[in-house]
Amino acid sequence: MFNIFNLQKNYGKTEVLKNITLRIDDGEAVCIIGPSGSGKSTFLRCLNLLEVPTGGRIFYNGSLLDQELDSKRLRREVGMVFQKFNLFPMFTVLKNIMYAPVHINKMKYKDAEELARSLLEKVGLANRADAYPSMLSGGQQQRVAIARALAMQPKMLLFDEPTSALDPELVGEVLQVMKTLRSDGMSMVVVTHEMGFARDVSDRVVFMDKGYIVEEGKPQQIFNSPQQERTQQFLNRIILGREVVQNEYNLSAAPL
Amino acid sequence: MNTTLAQLHFEQTAQILVPSLVHGAGLVIETTLIGFLLAAIFGILLAVGRLFAWRPLRAILYSFLELIRGTPLLVQLVYIYYVVPLLLNLLASMLGYKTDVQISPISAGIIGLAVNYGCYMSEVIRAGILSIDDGQTEAALCLGFGRFEALFRIIMPQALRSIIPSLGNYLVMMIKDTSLLAYVAVNELLLRTQTFASQTFFTIEAYTYLAIAYLILSIPLSHCVKLVEYKLSTTRR
Ligand SMILES: Nc1ncnc2c1ncn2[C@@H]1O[C@H](COP(=O)(O)OP(=O)(O)OP(=O)(O)O)[C@@H](O)[C@H]1O
Ligand SMILES: [Mg+2]
Repeated sequence: MFNIFNLQKNYGKTEVLKNITLRIDDGEAVCIIGPSGSGKSTFLRCLNLLEVPTGGRIFYNGSLLDQELDSKRLRREVGMVFQKFNLFPMFTVLKNIMYAPVHINKMKYKDAEELARSLLEKVGLANRADAYPSMLSGGQQQRVAIARALAMQPKMLLFDEPTSALDPELVGEVLQVMKTLRSDGMSMVVVTHEMGFARDVSDRVVFMDKGYIVEEGKPQQIFNSPQQERTQQFLNRIILGREVVQNEYNLSAAPL
Repeated sequence: MNTTLAQLHFEQTAQILVPSLVHGAGLVIETTLIGFLLAAIFGILLAVGRLFAWRPLRAILYSFLELIRGTPLLVQLVYIYYVVPLLLNLLASMLGYKTDVQISPISAGIIGLAVNYGCYMSEVIRAGILSIDDGQTEAALCLGFGRFEALFRIIMPQALRSIIPSLGNYLVMMIKDTSLLAYVAVNELLLRTQTFASQTFFTIEAYTYLAIAYLILSIPLSHCVKLVEYKLSTTRR
């Protein structure tokens, strides 16, 4: 789906992404891990042109982004879920989900409502259709945000730390929804600090540091026998700290 | 004391001046409504331009804003009414045409109010837009909306919640500032009163009625604004 060559991003003189080359295939789930400030979000946001790259080329299904394929059409196929949910506070849950299908895809109101209700069912919130976002917990809001992205029937979803703003006890419900999507075959790129999720759900793990891709490979390979010292150091720091939390809430134990 | 008060002619004044003020009040309300509507449109355009336009254009818009905010409304009104037509005629004659451009008092007044208030209102609108989290725009963009769709469908409706009460205050100010239109020959309340007072010398009576007339116009209006503000603050976000 994505073919990325020598992607670079600078903010003035700071180089945030340096020569990123990566291929993301149809149907793949790729997790991106790495320390804070390593450029993970920036990379993800380059994929749907929320950030405009300052160098290199990105191809989406063979079309060069920003030249052969404009951002509007790209974003209808590649959805995004944010750390802070970003639901529209003045709309009900149902309207949040229906809004883009009705206004962009010109879907009939009734069809859009039916679609929205079936998506709410899927994320386990069928009974909250008429609530406003501010009445929901963070975990529920994030599940609505996922349903909203799905309503445009995207071919791929980008997640930027979808569980980082949640209380620990709400992380599981969101990861569970993401696992369901995965088993339905949705392609996704997930920036995450949830190592259990990366290990169990992804096809490939990419470790980024200081704007470079330091290492990429199958999850077992990255987590069990990382080749680079930086990767090893990072995993030691993160996994030791997180394992406790994950076991406590029994997250990584949940089967795919 | 009683004898001096008895010498005032409130009743007589009421009989002649009050009908004239009622007539003028219609004009004041009309001017304010049109002026405010134009100011709001101009304010939105200016705010959006200053946020999103091509960089050099933003600088030009900012200079224009400074120009308007740095000069008094009264001077602007006089300039539009007396000077702008002269400049246009001068320009035309330099190009070899002979013209006699004139602007009607009421048009000059409305343009002046709209431009002046539009500038101040644009700052309120701009701040309202900026107060909405960028994540809202990003979410809209990621669903496939364009920049302007995101602005008018998602950002503006949220920003209006904070913008509307401030704009309401400008509406109340504008209805009072229509009195400045007397200086560009608009036959509004002040000019009617001045004319009456200079003919009759009932100065105390005339200007007292004038003040009352403005109170009758502005107090209900400012209460309406407060009510809208209250309604907005209590409905769900
Ligand atoms: N708009 C910007 N202007 C200037 N610098 C920026 C901007 N956005 C990001 N950066 C810088 O780019 C670097 C990478 O940021 P990015 O958000 O991509 O990191 P990240 O890996 O997602 O980190 P985190 O785990 O904290 O989310 C950081 O050093 C950040 O300060
Ligand atoms: Mg980030």
